[in-house]
Amino acid sequence: MSGGYNEIHPEPTTFWSTYIISFDHKVIAKQFLWYGIFFLGLGGIMALLIRWTLAYPGVPVPVLGSLLFSDSGGVVPPDTYSMLFTMHGTIMIFYAITPILIGAFGNYCIPLQIGARDMAFPMLNMLSFWFAFLSGLVLIISLCLPLGAAAGGWTSYPTLSTLIGSPGAGQTLWCVAIFLFGVSSTMGAVNYVTTVITLRAPGMGYFDMPLTIWGLWLTAILNAIFVPVLGAGVLLLILDRVMGTTFFLAGASATSGSGDPVLFQHVFWIFGHPEVYILILPAWGIVSDLLSFFSRKPAFGAKATALAMTSVSILSTLVYGHHMFTTQMSPLLTQSFMTLTMTISIPSAIFFANWLGTIWKGSIRFDSPMLFSLGVVFVFGLGGLTGLHLGTVTTDLYLHDTYFVVGHFHYTMAASVLLGGFAGIYFWFPKMFGKMMNETMAKIHFWGTMIPLNGIFFGMLMVGYGGMHRRIYNPFVYESLQRLIPINSMITTSAILMGAFQIVFVINFLWSLKNGAKAVSNPWNVGTLEWTIPSPPVHHNYDEIPVVKCGPHELGNPNLKNGRDFQYQTEELVEA
Amino acid sequence: MNRNQLQNNLAMTVTLIMGSMLFATLFLGYAVYRSSALMWPPLGIQKVSLVLPFLSTLVILASSWFMYQGRLKLENGNLTKAMVDVNLALALGSIFMIGQCYLWFYLKSTGIFLTTSGIFGSILYGFTWIHAFHMIFGILSLVYLRFAIKRNNSNILQTTVNVEKFWHFLGVVWIVMFLTIFVL
Ligand code: HEM
Ligand SMILES: [Cu+2]
Repeated sequence: MSGGYNEIHPEPTTFWSTYIISFDHKVIAKQFLWYGIFFLGLGGIMALLIRWTLAYPGVPVPVLGSLLFSDSGGVVPPDTYSMLFTMHGTIMIFYAITPILIGAFGNYCIPLQIGARDMAFPMLNMLSFWFAFLSGLVLIISLCLPLGAAAGGWTSYPTLSTLIGSPGAGQTLWCVAIFLFGVSSTMGAVNYVTTVITLRAPGMGYFDMPLTIWGLWLTAILNAIFVPVLGAGVLLLILDRVMGTTFFLAGASATSGSGDPVLFQHVFWIFGHPEVYILILPAWGIVSDLLSFFSRKPAFGAKATALAMTSVSILSTLVYGHHMFTTQMSPLLTQSFMTLTMTISIPSAIFFANWLGTIWKGSIRFDSPMLFSLGVVFVFGLGGLTGLHLGTVTTDLYLHDTYFVVGHFHYTMAASVLLGGFAGIYFWFPKMFGKMMNETMAKIHFWGTMIPLNGIFFGMLMVGYGGMHRRIYNPFVYESLQRLIPINSMITTSAILMGAFQIVFVINFLWSLKNGAKAVSNPWNVGTLEWTIPSPPVHHNYDEIPVVKCGPHELGNPNLKNGRDFQYQTEELVEA
Repeated sequence: MNRNQLQNNLAMTVTLIMGSMLFATLFLGYAVYRSSALMWPPLGIQKVSLVLPFLSTLVILASSWFMYQGRLKLENGNLTKAMVDVNLALALGSIFMIGQCYLWFYLKSTGIFLTTSGIFGSILYGFTWIHAFHMIFGILSLVYLRFAIKRNNSNILQTTVNVEKFWHFLGVVWIVMFLTIFVL
């Protein structure tokens, strides 16, 4: 493996090498962005089909129903329903959020914000995208199989995911796709970790990095450590399905030794809990930066925020058991996992308080990236609080596998990460494409997302608390749940509304690409390195590698004399 | 250490961490199966004779040793001698792989089957397959290294160090496998 020397690579000349097998981190970032947005749309349509079924069981789906489910008269059939929620979860987590937050922002921001010309291993970077592409292709093919796609939930617990629970190639292809995606993620992780350590501009210490980079870097470290765990898990699952081994099949233990279905749950969550932080850390980083930029104030306790994020990452490796309280763990174990889970609240509370400290008495500018960031503060607060109910054994025994869990992880993951992703897109779009996005449409998009979003996810918390189980085709066959139908149709109405407002985003995105006002090099007046160069940057980013002299959040210093209220990281710190 | 070396070392370190986590997960699974089994090997299955796995262990150890020697000679600038050692490492690695194929036939002949011997067979075959799969990459990188030495590439030492680390890693994983699933 040979690394880059941070030297200027020759600019590619052909279409093929510029846009397809590009080694340029900026192009790869855009590839990941398109990829993620495509899957976001696909996963979103699946979500609407799920919601329709839950609010109006037995009623044909308008428009799409007659196209997709003509055999059943437009109604989503039960087995298809299981495929839908399985693929919805899988697509959103691995194929929408991961590519956008980690693939797109990671690739775009890391070299630019640390003052590098490219990633340490540009070719590995290119391979990382194409592995992700291949994986997406396998997943899409699995949707078109005669026996249908995987239907065992995004967690793929055996026995549901073994040949007994899901015959047919769908689940096997799911495993293959996830494995390929893991290969892609780990390639990215090698690159990100190495790049941040070795290619920071002269003068840039770790605490001079924007918090976005901190988030992405911690994410990459967690990725490198825990994605292989899932890799091993799905590899064994593939062997079980294809070769006939019995790793996850229980049998008579004296004569053959028994496989163990619950082992998969352990393996899945040893990966899975860090994974949820893998997804949220970049969003935390982006929000921490944007709150400071748009409050025109230094980030409150930036160092503490970075260290708190680091402690969360470390602690996140020790709490996975809280997903398995109901698997007959010994009380000693459940109590320990509960205590460790509660410990995460401490660093979480620290950076949350720092966010509030940052906007406190700031001269807040309510541009669209800031609106979305404030949205994250709100929804993450709610999501984090619901985590406490689930982390406590006594309450979790009741709430486990209800819609309360679904509400919890949609607040933390879907809502926070999605809003964080939008904040990032609105913020870096001018740098990426050299055009401004339309601010009015962005604000309509924000409110059109934020209000229905709370209707959906708070509604989920309520029906979950009311006892509605997740993953049931028609929960209302239980008489006790029929009183929840009105809330469910409220949730579905909100979901359709929220979906409709995403069209505003797509139109804005495409329209601005073509007709947006030309972006100046620093439209938001912030001082991190990427804003010192033209929008969009030239192929090698920096003609001269910048020398860093101060931190990323030097805003609102009253002693600044040059008519600006911020200073660039390349400028000597003006003493306050 | 210049920046390029640092980058390569970091990348290889992260890669080895990833590999370790993958195999650590397998061994975790093994620990669970072993500790929850009523008896091991399960009723009606013979313990596997240690002769073949032990010979394989010797072969892979020797291969690692030649790889190490090769890197030392390369550091002293002795390309031709280094080449001999790398060739030996490669040959021994290939012999190890042949030994593994033989092991799979041998297991079959003693009545340990993939699909009917329960978790015992699953572990023996599954784990050695996954290791062998990684060995293929190791062998390919040794083949690549041979040609790199022949052409005397500019950063040949760096490449050698990386390949050597990966090769030792595969050796260590095999030894852990030998000790846990064959000897224990
Ligand atoms: C603030 C601290 C948090 C605590 C204490 C917490 C606690 C929990 C607990 C105990 C569960 C298991 C509930 C059950 O199945 O009965 C759970 C589920 C989940 N949490 Fe969290 N959580 C926290 C933050 C987060 C964050 C930040 C994310 C994602 C970005 C997240 C994503 C998830 C997901 C995806 C699941 C459910 C997965 C599934 O069963 O399908 N959580 N959480
Ligand atoms: Cu968790």
